[in-house]
Amino acid sequence: MTSTATRENTALMAHLLRRAGFGATRQELEGYLAKGYEAVVDDLLNPSDPQNMPDDVIRRYHPDQSELRDLTSSGAYWMYRMITTRCPLEEKIALFWHGLLATGYTKLNQARSQLNQIDMFRRSGLGSFRDLLLELSKDPAMLLWLDNNDNHNGAINENFGRELLELFSMGIGNYTEKDVKEGSRAFTGWTLGNAEYMAIRAFKDSIWPYSRIAWHFEYREQDHDNGEKTFLGETGNFNGEDIIDIIAKQEASARFLTTRLFQFFAADDVSEDGEKTITEMMKTYFDSGYEIRAVLRTLFNSEYFKSESVRYARVKGPVELIVGAMRLAGSYQSPTLGIEKITNQSFFMGQGLLNPPTVEGWHEGSEWIDSGVLVERVNFVAQEMGNTSRPGVRDIIDRLSAGSSDSLTPDELVDRCLDLIGPITVSDETRDTLVGFAKRQGDLNLIDHQPGDEAEQRVGNMLRLVASSREFQLA
Amino acid sequence: MAIQTGSKTIQIDYLKTIGIVNNGLNGRGFTSPYDLAVHKDGRIFVINRCDPLRSSAVRVGICNLDEDYLSEFGYGNGAGDGQMVWPVALAFDSKNRVFLTDEHNQRISIYDDSGKFLEKWGTAGSAEGELNGPAGIALDKEDNVYVVDQHNHRVQKFTNDGKYILGWGKLGSGPGEFDTPWGLAVDAEGDVYVADWRNDRIQKFSGDGQFLASYGESGQGEGQFQRPASVAVDDEGFIYVADWGNERVQILGPDGSFQVLLQGEATVSKWADDYFASNPEEKVERDNANLMPELPDHLSSPYHVSSQTESYFWGPVSVSLDGAGRLYVTETNRHRFQVYQKQ
Repeated sequence: MTSTATRENTALMAHLLRRAGFGATRQELEGYLAKGYEAVVDDLLNPSDPQNMPDDVIRRYHPDQSELRDLTSSGAYWMYRMITTRCPLEEKIALFWHGLLATGYTKLNQARSQLNQIDMFRRSGLGSFRDLLLELSKDPAMLLWLDNNDNHNGAINENFGRELLELFSMGIGNYTEKDVKEGSRAFTGWTLGNAEYMAIRAFKDSIWPYSRIAWHFEYREQDHDNGEKTFLGETGNFNGEDIIDIIAKQEASARFLTTRLFQFFAADDVSEDGEKTITEMMKTYFDSGYEIRAVLRTLFNSEYFKSESVRYARVKGPVELIVGAMRLAGSYQSPTLGIEKITNQSFFMGQGLLNPPTVEGWHEGSEWIDSGVLVERVNFVAQEMGNTSRPGVRDIIDRLSAGSSDSLTPDELVDRCLDLIGPITVSDETRDTLVGFAKRQGDLNLIDHQPGDEAEQRVGNMLRLVASSREFQLA
Repeated sequence: MAIQTGSKTIQIDYLKTIGIVNNGLNGRGFTSPYDLAVHKDGRIFVINRCDPLRSSAVRVGICNLDEDYLSEFGYGNGAGDGQMVWPVALAFDSKNRVFLTDEHNQRISIYDDSGKFLEKWGTAGSAEGELNGPAGIALDKEDNVYVVDQHNHRVQKFTNDGKYILGWGKLGSGPGEFDTPWGLAVDAEGDVYVADWRNDRIQKFSGDGQFLASYGESGQGEGQFQRPASVAVDDEGFIYVADWGNERVQILGPDGSFQVLLQGEATVSKWADDYFASNPEEKVERDNANLMPELPDHLSSPYHVSSQTESYFWGPVSVSLDGAGRLYVTETNRHRFQVYQKQ
C-alpha cells in the first residue's frame, strides 16, 4: 500500500469516526484501520461492550450524579458516558434521537426519567423505527412533555398525537387534522404512574420531601377510547400500537427518517448526489423492516459518504465538539471534580444536554455558530488541546518526538500536528497562517523533551492554533 | 423481626425517618448526606457532602432524635483549615472530638463537638502514612485511628495525633487484599471490619491487620453484596452492612451468617410534615398515589426500583450505631436517614 493510500484510508476512517462517533485518537484510528472500513462500520452499528466509566464509580464520587436531581449533574453524568465509551455510535445515536425526539428539563424537572429515555435511545435507537416510536409513546418523560397525561377518553389533548406525526415521523403536509385527532384518541389512557401527583411535582419543581421520584409508564384501560377510528385512510378499533404500525409503513415516514439521519451523519445540506443516497436509504428502510441500523449501514458504506465532497460538510454540534476535544485530549477519564463545568460549557455554546429549547430540538448546521458562541467554542477546544499535561496531548507529543531524530521544520511541525489531531485537511490560507506562526520560533527540537518544557509548550501552542481553525469546528 | 443466630437473637424494628432535602446553603435538612455519627449526648452529626451547585455549603449538620435541627459547622469549600471538598466519613474519639476524612483534600480534619476546627493531618501519596483518598474512619478504645486509604487499597492505623503505626492491604481480591475499599468499623474486641467495595465483601482483621475472615460475595441474594459502602458492628458482634449497590442493608451474625435484610420503610419526617402542611394540594395528590408501584422489566434493577419507590433506601452510603441499640441508615440520594431500634 502506498503512503498516499494509507493517508487516504486514515483520512476516511477519521471521517467515519467524526460522524459515527466523536472523532478518534491516533491510537484508536490504528486499531480501526487494522480492522478495515466495512468491518468498523458493522462494529459501530452493533455496540456490545461500551466499557464506559462504570455507574458505580460515577455514583460513589459524584452522589449528585447518583441522585440526578438537577440538570447540571445529569448532563455531566451523560458527558462521562460519551467521553469514555468504546461504542461511540451508541452515544451518538442517542444524541441524535435526543435532538429529534426532544424532551426538556425545563418543563419536566425529572432528569432521571429523561436519562431513562436516553437509555431507551441507546437500547432501541438503532433497531426498528416502529419499535422505537412505540417505546417513545410509552416513555413517561415524553408523555408528560407533550401532555398525554391530559389526553382522556372523551376529552382529547392533541399535543402528543400531533407531534408524533409532525415532528417525529412524517412531517407536516402528509396528514390531516382529522388524522391528528383520531391518532390522539388512540393514545388516550397512555400515561405515567401516579400521573396526577407527578404532574403537580413537575409543575412546582418540587423536590420535597425526599428528592425526585422517577417515572414509569401506565396504561389506564378505563380512560382509553375504544371506539372506531379512521387514521391515514385506515379504519379500525385502533389503539396506540396500531397507529404506530400505520405510521411506520408510510413513505413519508421513510423520507422523514432518512433525511434526518442524512443531515445528522452526512451533510447539513442535501445535494443532488445526497438525494440519491437518501433514496437508497429509503429503499433499505422498507427492505429491512424499518431497521435504522440497516439504513445507516447503507449511508456509511455509500460512495457518497466516502467522497471528499462530504468531508467537513457538517458543523460540529456543541456536544460533539466538546466530547470530541476531551476524548482527543484524554481528559475526564476518571471521576473529576468540576465535570459539571463541562456541561455548562455545552449550554453556553447553545446545546444544554437534556434541555433542548423547544419540541423541535435544536436548530443545527450553521445555526450552531454565531460570533459569541464561536469564541466559546474556540476557547474551549484550544484550552483542551493546548494543555500539555493532558494524556492525549502527551501522546501526540510523544509521537512527534518518536518520529524524528532531527529537529522538525515549521512545515513539518504543522503537517504532523494536522495529521495527528485528525488527520484534518485545512485550506491553504489556514496552513500558511500556521506555518507562519511556527516560523517565528524556527525549527523545533523535541529530543530529550521534558513534561511541560518549552519544546512541549511549542507543540501545545501549535495544537491550540490547529484546534482554533475553521476546519476543526467542522466534522 | 426476630431472628435466632447461634445463641444470640436479633430483633430490629423500624423507628422513624429524619430528614428532608435542603435546597439551600444552610439550615434544616440535608444535602447529599454521606455519613453520620452519634455523639454520646445523643446529638447526630451528619456530613452534608453537597452537590456542585451548593459546594460552598459543604458542612456538618447537627440534629437529635427528636428531629430538632440544632446547629451546623463548616468553613467553606477548599483546602484551608477546617474546609472540606469531598468529605466521606466521620467518627468521634473518646474526648468527643470529630475526626473527618476528605478524599479530595487527602487528609483528616479534627473538630471539637461544637464544630471548632482543631487540627488536620495527612499527606497525599502512597508511602507509609500517606493517603490517596481517605474514606472510612473508626477509632478503637485507645483512640487509635483506622483510616481506609481507598486508592492505595489499604487500611492504615495512626495514633490519635496522626503518627503512622501500621498498615495492610494492596490491590487484589485475595484475603487481605482490597479493591477501592470504602467504610470500616472497629468492634468491641478491637477487630477491624472493612467494606471492600469493589470486591463485594466484608473483610475482618485483627487490630494489627491479621486477616481473620471474609464475608459475602457478588450478587443480589442473601449474604451477597453489590458494592458494600459501610459496615458497623454492635456490642454483641452483629455486623450491619450498607449494601449500597443493592440499595439495602443486611445484618450478619457474629459468624458472618445472613440474618436480616432491610430495604427501607421511610415515613414522613417531622420536617416533611411541615412541608406538606404548607403545600396541601401536593399532599392530596400524594395521598391518592401508589408509592409502591410495580415497574416494567427495564426498570427492575435495585437502583431504578429505589428511584421510583420513595420509602426504600436509595443510596444507602452509611450504617451507624449509637449506644442505645439504634441503627441509622444514611441515604444520600434521599437526603435523610432511617432509624431502626434493636430490641
